[in-house]
Amino acid sequence: MDKAKILVIDDDPDFVDAVTPILQSARYNVISAANPAEGKEKILKEKPDLILLDIMMDSLFDGFSLCHNIKTSKEFEDVHDTPVIFISAVKEMTGTRFQFKGEEQGLIGPDDYIDKPVKPEDLVARIEKLLAK
Amino acid sequence: MNQFDKKPIILVIDDEEFMRDSCSQILIRDGYRAETAEDGLVGAAKIQDLKPDLVLVDLKMPGKSGFEVLDKIKDFDPNIISVVITGYATVESAVEAMKKGAYDFIPKPFTPDQLRIIIKRGLERRRLILETESLRREKKLMEENFITMVSHQLRSPLGTIAQYFEVILGGMAGKVEPKQEEMLTKARDRLEKLMELINDWLDLARMNRGQILDRFKPLSIKKVLENIVEFVQPSAQKENIRIQLLPYHGDDGIKGDDETLTQAFSNLITNAIKYNKPGGRVTVSLEEKETSIAVNVEDTGIGIPEEHLPYIFDQFYRVKTKEGKKLKGTGLGLSIAKKIVEAHGGTVRVKSEIGKGSTFTVFLPRTNQEPEKS
Repeated sequence: MDKAKILVIDDDPDFVDAVTPILQSARYNVISAANPAEGKEKILKEKPDLILLDIMMDSLFDGFSLCHNIKTSKEFEDVHDTPVIFISAVKEMTGTRFQFKGEEQGLIGPDDYIDKPVKPEDLVARIEKLLAK
Repeated sequence: MNQFDKKPIILVIDDEEFMRDSCSQILIRDGYRAETAEDGLVGAAKIQDLKPDLVLVDLKMPGKSGFEVLDKIKDFDPNIISVVITGYATVESAVEAMKKGAYDFIPKPFTPDQLRIIIKRGLERRRLILETESLRREKKLMEENFITMVSHQLRSPLGTIAQYFEVILGGMAGKVEPKQEEMLTKARDRLEKLMELINDWLDLARMNRGQILDRFKPLSIKKVLENIVEFVQPSAQKENIRIQLLPYHGDDGIKGDDETLTQAFSNLITNAIKYNKPGGRVTVSLEEKETSIAVNVEDTGIGIPEEHLPYIFDQFYRVKTKEGKKLKGTGLGLSIAKKIVEAHGGTVRVKSEIGKGSTFTVFLPRTNQEPEKS
């Protein structure tokens, strides 16, 4: 099987830089985008096998809207099934710290969440699990 | 397209056909969307359907009067501008209409220019009201999101720094010598503590009584505790601490906010794990009191010296131990817990015996208690 292609969408180039070696050491191909617009372009052009998506970029919750679009909009029809993992520095998606609950507002959520900083084994395990589906 | 660049909608309510027609003609010529209604009833229905920017209403109409229409407008959307047309320029009825919320009045007969001036002023007023409204909404949203924003701005760079440590320590950026690894591990641990501190501090800043009260709903406190105990089980096992929730069949109904209460009890329970002895126990139990439900969190830890007890709920206060044992917390956990419990109308007490352990007891008002006899 070909090496899986992972797209990292994050507006912090240093974070992309720091997470890339983890993905490469697990033998994935890594591509990246620095904002939602570039992310959209790369999703359509490169058709990644999995997307790591930062929640807050240009605006507070644009990760949520991009994810929702990937899963539902006609534009992304060919890639609806691409797994998406949210990465965010704002902790605790299930508990008290996160004010905005995308799902409650009718947005389709991601396949998984992970907090920054990511533990290498944890990240790779989650990716493997989603790719195996 | 937002509400400011849409063609303004003006509704003319008048029983005289001539009046409706001439007003519409002037308004349409001036670039507005004009709609008409021949009586108060139709007018009221059109207000709801069209959500006009401005309503011109004749005061004297058969059936539903102009005054009733004004009331209707006020109920439906007080930001709709209403201008009354008064039949014989009777000042009294105009004044009464203004009292009922009309913005202005225009006496019959009037010239097209008189109408234009009044419409223009009314719409200008409407625009100002709407702009103010939307600014107020925006400000509220910004305040609500502020803490999330701050949290993000503070945590993002730290998260990236920590990510570099993870990669280096994971050996993904080349071989790491043991001495380097030791130092980097320390740096990473300190960074993690700092991030925890930021979280706790932001929680404390965010916590305000009003917001907590807004989210109150009927809860089972037993259920809340069950979830926490299950959640902390793995970390207790790692520290070799036995944690259990004693069976309870009493009343467990309270009114509260699930999220913050979960946080308050998590803080108490994780403290009981953290400051325990290896092989120790944490026992969580419930008791039904007359007006409250008591939750006890009991540990078998080192205990808190009596002279420290009055201060342990203060922000950043920490009990120094003789052994100079490394401090594990941020010094905010108990203040957060206390603040949450108090927002729920409850209290926290603590009993402690050196060498034996501490018991924190939270009293929360019962909702199912018998109504007071008076």
